[in-house]
Amino acid sequence: MRYRVTHRTTYTYDKPVTDSYGLAYVTPRTLPSQEVEQCEVMVSPAPSDLTTREDYLGNLVTYFQVTEPHRRLEVEAVSTIRTAEPTHPEASLAQPWERARPLEHPDLPGSRDATDLALPSALVEQTEQAAAYGAASLTPGRPLGEAVIDLMRRVHRDFTYDKTATTVTSTIPDVFESRAGVCQDFAHLMLACLRSHGLAVRYVSGYLATDPPPGKPRIVGADASHAWVAVWLPGVDGAEDAWLAVDPTNDQTANERYVTVAWGRDYADVPPVKGVIFTEAKRSTLKVSVDVAPLDEDGNLIEVVGALPAAASAASSAAASSAAGTPVDPAASED
Amino acid sequence: MTVLRDYAATVSQPPLDDTVRPRRFDEMVGPDGSLRPAWKPLAELAVGLTAHDLYRVDGDIVRMLADEGVTYGRPGERPGPWRLDPVPLLVDAPTWAPLEVGLAQRTELLNALLVDLYGEQRVLRERVVPAPVVLGHPGFVRAMAGARMADSHPLIFSATDVGRDGEGGWRAVADRTQAPSGIGYAMENRRVLSRVLPELYRESGLHRMEPYFWALRSALMQAAPTDTADPRVVVLTPGTHSETAYDQAFVASTLGFPLVEGSDLVVRDGWVYLRQARGRLERVDVILRRVDAAWSDPLELRGESQLGVVGLTEAARRGRVRVVNPIGAGVLENPALMPYLPAACELLLGEPLLLDSAETWWCGEAAGLEAVLDAFASDPELRLTGIDGEDAGLAGLPRSEVVQRLLATPHRYVGQRTPVLSQVPTWRAGSARPRPVTLRTFTVRYGSAYRPLVGGMANVLDELTGRSSASKDVWVLKADPADIDQGLSGVLAATPGRAAPVAAPRVLEDLFWTGRYAERAEDLLRVLLVTHAVAEDYRTRPRTAGGTSLEVLLASQARLAGRVHADLDEEFRSVLLDADRVGGVGHSIASLRDALAGVRDQLSTDTWRAFGVIDRAVELLEGTRYSHQIAESAGRHLTGLLSLQGSTANMMQDEGWRLLSAGRLLERALQLCHLLVGTTTERRGLDVDRAVLGAVLEAAESGVTHRRRFRGYVRPAGVLDLLLLDPDNPRSLLHCLVQLRGHLAHLPGSTGSTRPERLLENLLSEVEAQEVSSLVAIGGADRPLLTEFLETMLDRLTTLADAIADHYLAVGPPPRPLNSLAVLESLPLEPVTGTIPIITDDMERPPGIPPRTPRGGSRPGGGERP
Repeated sequence: MRYRVTHRTTYTYDKPVTDSYGLAYVTPRTLPSQEVEQCEVMVSPAPSDLTTREDYLGNLVTYFQVTEPHRRLEVEAVSTIRTAEPTHPEASLAQPWERARPLEHPDLPGSRDATDLALPSALVEQTEQAAAYGAASLTPGRPLGEAVIDLMRRVHRDFTYDKTATTVTSTIPDVFESRAGVCQDFAHLMLACLRSHGLAVRYVSGYLATDPPPGKPRIVGADASHAWVAVWLPGVDGAEDAWLAVDPTNDQTANERYVTVAWGRDYADVPPVKGVIFTEAKRSTLKVSVDVAPLDEDGNLIEVVGALPAAASAASSAAASSAAGTPVDPAASED
Repeated sequence: MTVLRDYAATVSQPPLDDTVRPRRFDEMVGPDGSLRPAWKPLAELAVGLTAHDLYRVDGDIVRMLADEGVTYGRPGERPGPWRLDPVPLLVDAPTWAPLEVGLAQRTELLNALLVDLYGEQRVLRERVVPAPVVLGHPGFVRAMAGARMADSHPLIFSATDVGRDGEGGWRAVADRTQAPSGIGYAMENRRVLSRVLPELYRESGLHRMEPYFWALRSALMQAAPTDTADPRVVVLTPGTHSETAYDQAFVASTLGFPLVEGSDLVVRDGWVYLRQARGRLERVDVILRRVDAAWSDPLELRGESQLGVVGLTEAARRGRVRVVNPIGAGVLENPALMPYLPAACELLLGEPLLLDSAETWWCGEAAGLEAVLDAFASDPELRLTGIDGEDAGLAGLPRSEVVQRLLATPHRYVGQRTPVLSQVPTWRAGSARPRPVTLRTFTVRYGSAYRPLVGGMANVLDELTGRSSASKDVWVLKADPADIDQGLSGVLAATPGRAAPVAAPRVLEDLFWTGRYAERAEDLLRVLLVTHAVAEDYRTRPRTAGGTSLEVLLASQARLAGRVHADLDEEFRSVLLDADRVGGVGHSIASLRDALAGVRDQLSTDTWRAFGVIDRAVELLEGTRYSHQIAESAGRHLTGLLSLQGSTANMMQDEGWRLLSAGRLLERALQLCHLLVGTTTERRGLDVDRAVLGAVLEAAESGVTHRRRFRGYVRPAGVLDLLLLDPDNPRSLLHCLVQLRGHLAHLPGSTGSTRPERLLENLLSEVEAQEVSSLVAIGGADRPLLTEFLETMLDRLTTLADAIADHYLAVGPPPRPLNSLAVLESLPLEPVTGTIPIITDDMERPPGIPPRTPRGGSRPGGGERP
């Protein structure tokens, strides 16, 4: 698929801000299944300093500084992306999950990089509860792919999507307590369950192209940033290692409708926008608008109309498409 | 018998039960009871020291350290006095030589490891070091990984704690690379000991330390990333509440680099600048970092930090500023690295590691885990910690629980067997006792080599807790008297003294409040002294004129410091001693100390003598219940403050000095008006008024002048004229205001028409327009015009003080995380980790002058502890 993604984050303050320093993870990554044709990051007011570099994990991060006083700060990223269906070697998915623990198998190729994602991180507490919840899926000798997808389905089934259930500071025990949350919480939950058994898992930040409600045209700007996870698949028989991306919020493995922006140990490594401002302001409002627009080969927008129920029921494979009206991530789950 | 001979006799006795623990290596006495070679040339002098001599020397040391305000605080504790043992640790040249080579190599290795871990990570890819050891350590700063290193030697200055095992061999116990502390203490130890044991010092033939400081200074200047003729180097401190604040300030002033806090620096376009007065910015090339990496940039590291510089990581990554040591160097402090250093040394340097480490096992490896579990059951010398070196919540857990945790996440833990440390004679209450010791060594990258300091700072450890109970100076003796000090020839001698002046708003603010609190303490002391004197005479005669005047004076004191105790002596003591009693002398002095500590590098060491005097005055009072000691102690407090005034009078008459003086004058005017409101506005009968006015004259230090002028005839008009309107009396309101005008006019931010200047002009014209005859006019039992005038003055002076702070000391709005504001709107406040200072002095605040608003900022430890 080809998409034009527009991601705009706007802060307005009740008093002037004299200096803003920010970091933005809004430039999608280049991957075997994802080509970035173009991406531009714009900051307003015009920053006196703006650079984009590759971070430790290969994400593109933009640093900016605004030195003129302002009451409104806007960070906008517009990118054109071509995605393909990711593929995973059958043998990797079929290996017993116990083999995919980098701390136990430091000799496997790719193990060093995977180690970083198997260790505890700040926002993902490896509680006993998470370990027990994960154990139900990670039964001894179970094929890795099957075990991970099973866990994903259970999270989807046992936890309710509810924007009001959690906040940006919710912890793993909070999510277990409320049995509800948003995509970021579900991703962190999966990280906790899988890492407490030694698996290496990435927190992935990105977008998901959504279908409009049945029979309705697409609404510009109604999409949201999204989060899911990817599990390390060590190579089998000399094959390269790979990562299996699964989305517990939508109960499916990531497909060509997913645009990957950045990954890290958890949300804190790759927030879309974070920063420090110098101000006496006490209040601000945050508005996030994300638009994932399908493009044709000439670069024109494709008109999309929500599929009708009859057509939707035909889609049964988990990887086929996201059902109409499935919750993605709301703007509020950004910071 | 002398102290050290007794010691030698004791330690060479065979132990009664030689099975209990292995014998320590004694640094002074050999197994046969004879002195070790280092001590032999000094035998006559050193061994001749009697207990009496050492009592004197120890007393001198305590006093000198107090006079210079040398403090050290353990985390979470108030800084206490620095402790130095009178007996130095002597090391002869042949013993020192292998350590010196070992340290140079070890630092070279740590540097190579630093470059590798933030670059190629060969040690991880080739599995010389297990990946979880590094990736699981909080000191590994991902934001710096992959960044271009400034040069091949980013590690400029490091410290290693070493000890000697049972055979006298050197072993490294811990490496300190994050923000090594202690070299200032080491230098201070030397300074003090060389003065209290001059003969011993002269005769020993030791390596002097000064050239090492010059080398350190030169190394820092040469670390500048750009080719600048005169690079700007600053010392970044977490602030005056850091445990090692003294060490930081000492290093800054000895090297001549300003001591700055995070808020004094600002990043613009990837360059770091030092804020100077009135928004001027001055570029900074090198930062000697004493703030832990995690706290040094709220943008990319800990977001709640108020100690850091926003954007510092980016500036460092771009190579536009050199941070020493680099952000991320803390990863080398990991004890779990120790077992892998020999292999890493082979891989990175191609040579065997010379200096052994203490026996250490990382539990993430099966063999390590097994060894630790084995030793855990039996070996009391095994210390189990997290890989970050902290106790990782294991302390106090039942054995089975510890084992369970180890088995669950073994990669998080490290076991280390403390070597059987060597022992040194340590002075304790009349004799020298053997105590275990470790030695903090320092190494600097100077020129093209790593150079260990020939010397160091020894920590005498408590046998039970293993914590440091005192420090020792370390004397490394020259092999030949002709040897060059530190083996450093050709280093450019630098004049130690004060750092280059800084006029950052924070520094100016500290100086302004220095002036205010010094004056506040002094003026209240004078009130207290006269009040106490009246109390001595009249406390038991309440209905006499003297008794009534005592009531008046007490009420006046209460205006400024409240009233807490009914008992008079308790009340006086509390005003003097209680640091939490806002407005009281104790509080003002504590605040003064705080303000001065923030600008310590800018002042001469004489400044701290004032506190030495005051601290002894406090001890005097704490140790006795006699009432007359209150006056004695208050008098000595005053002596201390006057000596402070003497040393500030010798400051450069720059902006900082002007603000200090302005603070003083403002405060004097405020205090005077408060005193007069409480004493002169009401009429209480001729005798009472006369007694009160006499006391007021004394308290306002104008008694002598008044007597000379009015021949002892005390009348309200004369007193008020002298104290309010006399332009020649340095204690009068008018005089203060005129002086203040002079200072403001000289400040760079003044135009003649700024708000503070306008306010002051109005004030002045109002005072000049007053006639004493109308002020003293009587209305019933009061003087309504005087009351009104004084209240107006107080009001205007307070406004003026605020205006001065706003205009000359404005620092701009505070930094805050971008998303913290958005969160405020819809969600509960984000919980903040780390400690935020609690403002407690809202309680029982007297009506007098409000205290300084504390600067914001959480404050974790300042680097690690010595």
